Amino acid sequence: MSDPTERYRSKHVTEILLKKINKEIGQIGNPVRLMHVCGTHEHDLVKAGLRSLIPKEVELIAGPGCPVCVCSAQDIDEVLWVADTHGAIITTFGDMMRVPGSTESLYQAKGRGVDIRVVYSVSDAIKIAEKNPKTDIIFFSVGFETTSSITAAEVIRTSIPNFSIYSSHKLIPPAMELLMQRDDIEFHGFLAPGHVSTIIGSKPYDFVPEKYNFPVAVAGFEPVDILLGIYSLLKQIRENKPKVDNVYKRYVKEEGNLAAIRALDDAFVISDARWRGLGVWPKTGHEISKKYAHIDAKKKYTIPDLPLTDLHKGCLCDEILIGKTKPSECKLFMKSCRPDHPIGACMVSHEGTCNVAATYEEIDL
Amino acid sequence: MCLAIPAKVCEILKNNRIIVDITGVRREADISLLEETLEIEDYVLVHTGFVISKLDKKQAKEDLKLWDELLQA
Ligand code: SF4
Ligand code: SF4
Repeated sequence: MSDPTERYRSKHVTEILLKKINKEIGQIGNPVRLMHVCGTHEHDLVKAGLRSLIPKEVELIAGPGCPVCVCSAQDIDEVLWVADTHGAIITTFGDMMRVPGSTESLYQAKGRGVDIRVVYSVSDAIKIAEKNPKTDIIFFSVGFETTSSITAAEVIRTSIPNFSIYSSHKLIPPAMELLMQRDDIEFHGFLAPGHVSTIIGSKPYDFVPEKYNFPVAVAGFEPVDILLGIYSLLKQIRENKPKVDNVYKRYVKEEGNLAAIRALDDAFVISDARWRGLGVWPKTGHEISKKYAHIDAKKKYTIPDLPLTDLHKGCLCDEILIGKTKPSECKLFMKSCRPDHPIGACMVSHEGTCNVAATYEEIDL
Repeated sequence: MCLAIPAKVCEILKNNRIIVDITGVRREADISLLEETLEIEDYVLVHTGFVISKLDKKQAKEDLKLWDELLQA
């Protein structure tokens, strides 16, 4: 079997799907707004230029799907506090480096001498801890269920006295519920994140159509995958028969990845979590469970309350994150806030809505 | 960092580890979060060094059939 991924880039299938999408929206007769909650969806649909290919009546809005963008300044402040007071080495993903904290980013802290090392995975952070037994090593762990399950595997099997994990992990399905409950954002369906769904399965979204009468399509990342998802959502809207339609069945099972779910349930407990600029959202976070307290940085160190600035003056990241505002509506966009000089978290990561808008806008011009 | 990349299984090693081919580059990956067994030539999704899902080949074939139906409808 040749690489199956290629097929999901087929121009022919893409064109036919676009025709189908046109037909559906024509029959619906009203503009439709669909929300995805995945940084990778944002990146891949921009890369494929899908927004300009689909009819303008179908608006794709980016929800709070990039873990770097939603990470509160509080978490950055707290790991830096541990580094400053205990001489700890911070290890984290490269994406985190330039995310603004209340007063400085990790990158800026590194500039004043804090030892911060970028790793590809939690396993690399553990190797650093093994090599430096006399120094405390913290792994600053961010991400949704996909990344959390990997951290969970290491939480369960690792016990090194000088190593701990600061969990900034967040959950997708309860965040989706909170988005549906807000009356300040109008949208009509969810494109559910493919990679998160490989872990949790398609079942956890069942409440969306059942309780909120809202359509869901679990979609992958190739152009055909994303268009199939959009087509499914429009069809559900037109027929007024919302359901959870999994169009990424080749990788996503209804029940998900059971080994990963077991690891998540064992390593973490559900907790309240602070989202950038949006305050604390109940039951949307993952903290390390009591059983593994020895590896939990939040238990190991008594971190005091630190003064918090989650949004810098003029930055609208909170509204950008929930798809309420577009980057071009922010007065700082491409003026004082640019990819090489980010003011808000959404301008930092490659899949942050403001960064994507900035990068591709430049190419367009 | 949350990217999961399709890869092909090239070698099964010991201790829950395998070698995968990611667009021509060979890398080691951990399979302790996967319940299914893997064989050489299987396709998987790799996320930060761990395999998170195995391609369901039957389903991938099914997809082609579904498209045919969709494209004809
Ligand atoms: S920018 Fe990084 S953290 Fe954000 S969605 Fe993309 S890969 Fe994930
Ligand atoms: S353009 Fe910059 S300042 Fe404005 S919302 Fe985006 S990240 Fe925040």
